[in-house]
Amino acid sequence: MGELNTAISIQNLSFSYEKNTVLLNASAEIETEKLTIILGKNGSGKSTLLRIIAGLLPFKHGLISISGKELKTMNLSERAKTFGFLGQKHKAVFPFTVEQVVLTGRAGYINFVPKKSDVKVAETAMYKVNIMHLKDRIYTELSGGEQQLVMMARVLAQEPKMLLLDEPTTHLDFCNQIKLLTLLKELTMQKLTVIAVLHDPNIAFLYGDDFLFVKNGTLERPAEPIKPWSAEYLKTVYKHELQSVPYAGRALIVPDIIQQKQNDR
Amino acid sequence: MKNKKIIVIILYSLPLPVLFLSLFIGPSDMASVSSILAFFKHLIFSGNSGNAETFQTVQAILWDVRIPRIILAFLVGGALSISGSSLQAIFRNPLVSPYILGLSSGAAFGAALALAFAFLPVQVSAFLFGLLAVALSYIAAIKHKNLSIVSLILSGVIVTGIFTALLTVVQFLSDPFKLQSIVHWTMGNLHNASWKLLSSSYIPILAGVIILFLMRWRLNVLALGDEEARTSGINPSREKIIVLIAATLASSAAVSVAGIIGLYGLIVPHMVRMMVGPDNRQSTILNFLFGGTFLLIIDDFSRTAAGFEIPIGVITMLIGAPFFLYLMKKTNIGWEN
Repeated sequence: MGELNTAISIQNLSFSYEKNTVLLNASAEIETEKLTIILGKNGSGKSTLLRIIAGLLPFKHGLISISGKELKTMNLSERAKTFGFLGQKHKAVFPFTVEQVVLTGRAGYINFVPKKSDVKVAETAMYKVNIMHLKDRIYTELSGGEQQLVMMARVLAQEPKMLLLDEPTTHLDFCNQIKLLTLLKELTMQKLTVIAVLHDPNIAFLYGDDFLFVKNGTLERPAEPIKPWSAEYLKTVYKHELQSVPYAGRALIVPDIIQQKQNDR
Repeated sequence: MKNKKIIVIILYSLPLPVLFLSLFIGPSDMASVSSILAFFKHLIFSGNSGNAETFQTVQAILWDVRIPRIILAFLVGGALSISGSSLQAIFRNPLVSPYILGLSSGAAFGAALALAFAFLPVQVSAFLFGLLAVALSYIAAIKHKNLSIVSLILSGVIVTGIFTALLTVVQFLSDPFKLQSIVHWTMGNLHNASWKLLSSSYIPILAGVIILFLMRWRLNVLALGDEEARTSGINPSREKIIVLIAATLASSAAVSVAGIIGLYGLIVPHMVRMMVGPDNRQSTILNFLFGGTFLLIIDDFSRTAAGFEIPIGVITMLIGAPFFLYLMKKTNIGWEN
């Protein structure tokens, strides 16, 4: 991977909450304009990694550079113009309209009050996520899935170079999951670097360009000839009996229920 | 949508007529509606069709008593409302009022101390102790450079408790005459209004109001949550401190001249939100305008309804609370969970 194509470079990153070490000497490079998917068990540190890159968790050990620039030297507004971060849960309190919520994504560009051009950008973002029909609805009255799409539009209104998405498919029904992943693919064509934490390896392997696994506090990218969707490899990640069913050049991952039944006998 | 536009227009145009009509309201027989109208006629057309002595009295009543009181009532009401609405936005909590961080009890203690021992002008002492109380709550709540809203509200409750206890001590030590004025102060009233009182309070009030007005859209961003604000490029801790300082400055100055006007800074923001929605771009300035106008109407009522003047804080409590409960039952107050 050449220096030019590296969006994010992580070197020897260590992080712990109080005494609980989550990441230990994790290193990886993430390519530009690709859909990189981070997979791993619950509590393995996927979200932590994303939150560190987004600047929400200060870290002491290691080095992260963004397109060659050290993350720690970037100020809030620089970060906002680089990363769009979509967190796992958002609890709204005020009955803002969808448009008002999406517009707040422009905060990094606005001194006091948004201009007409900001409203335009917000509208374009809503259009991309296909929620223009919700524009004047009250955010707090929407379903969880619709709210998720609104927050996605809000992040796009930020006009970032990279998207950091923490489980963006939660709350979305099957169809909307597919639509969202298709949108993420489209965004990479429009020169965005998209990094998403996903729970579902199937959706990941169907749409992702590149896969990073969080394993025992480190970041791992299986090297050729090991395929990330091979059952043998995924067993080491999820510590569970899995079967890999070939599909579309890659594979679908299912729990190995045949094996399990035999074991039960 | 159309109704909302009409409401907004009404809210913007309401202050002027109310300010003007309030000139005619007051207990004095010397300044009846007809004599004021005659005075205005005299002023505008410089006609000589009246009694010069009456005109002098009317002028004195209007200029020395009513005008400063009208302006003061407007500023105090506006300051409490705009502070309340801004604090509700940054705390993301509907129960927040300018008094939440101990401002009212600190100011009451300061005023009582000055009334009992006369070591400082009452207003100055109330203002300083109000600020002190908020600062104490703030310092108590801060932990590892982080400000948690829950601990801020908790420390506000504690500081309120401390100053209320101290107030009781002062009251206990005061003679009955001083005790009476302390109690009267805490009830909230505007009858001391004068140009002097006005000139000593308008600067902090307007400074706070202007800062909050400039922050109006950022309140929307802050109201969405810390993480969302931070990742979209603004530092929530810093912005919250700016809002907190501005709101405290304005409401401290208001309390220092008017005493404790209960519930006002809690209720008006809700009323405005029910009328025009939660977008702070619009509601911030409307809180100031409507808050000022509404308190002026209440004050007009308080000085004419009974044979004596009812303390305005008592009226805001007695009328405001049931009215607010009615609105709460009837309309969607807009707070989920």
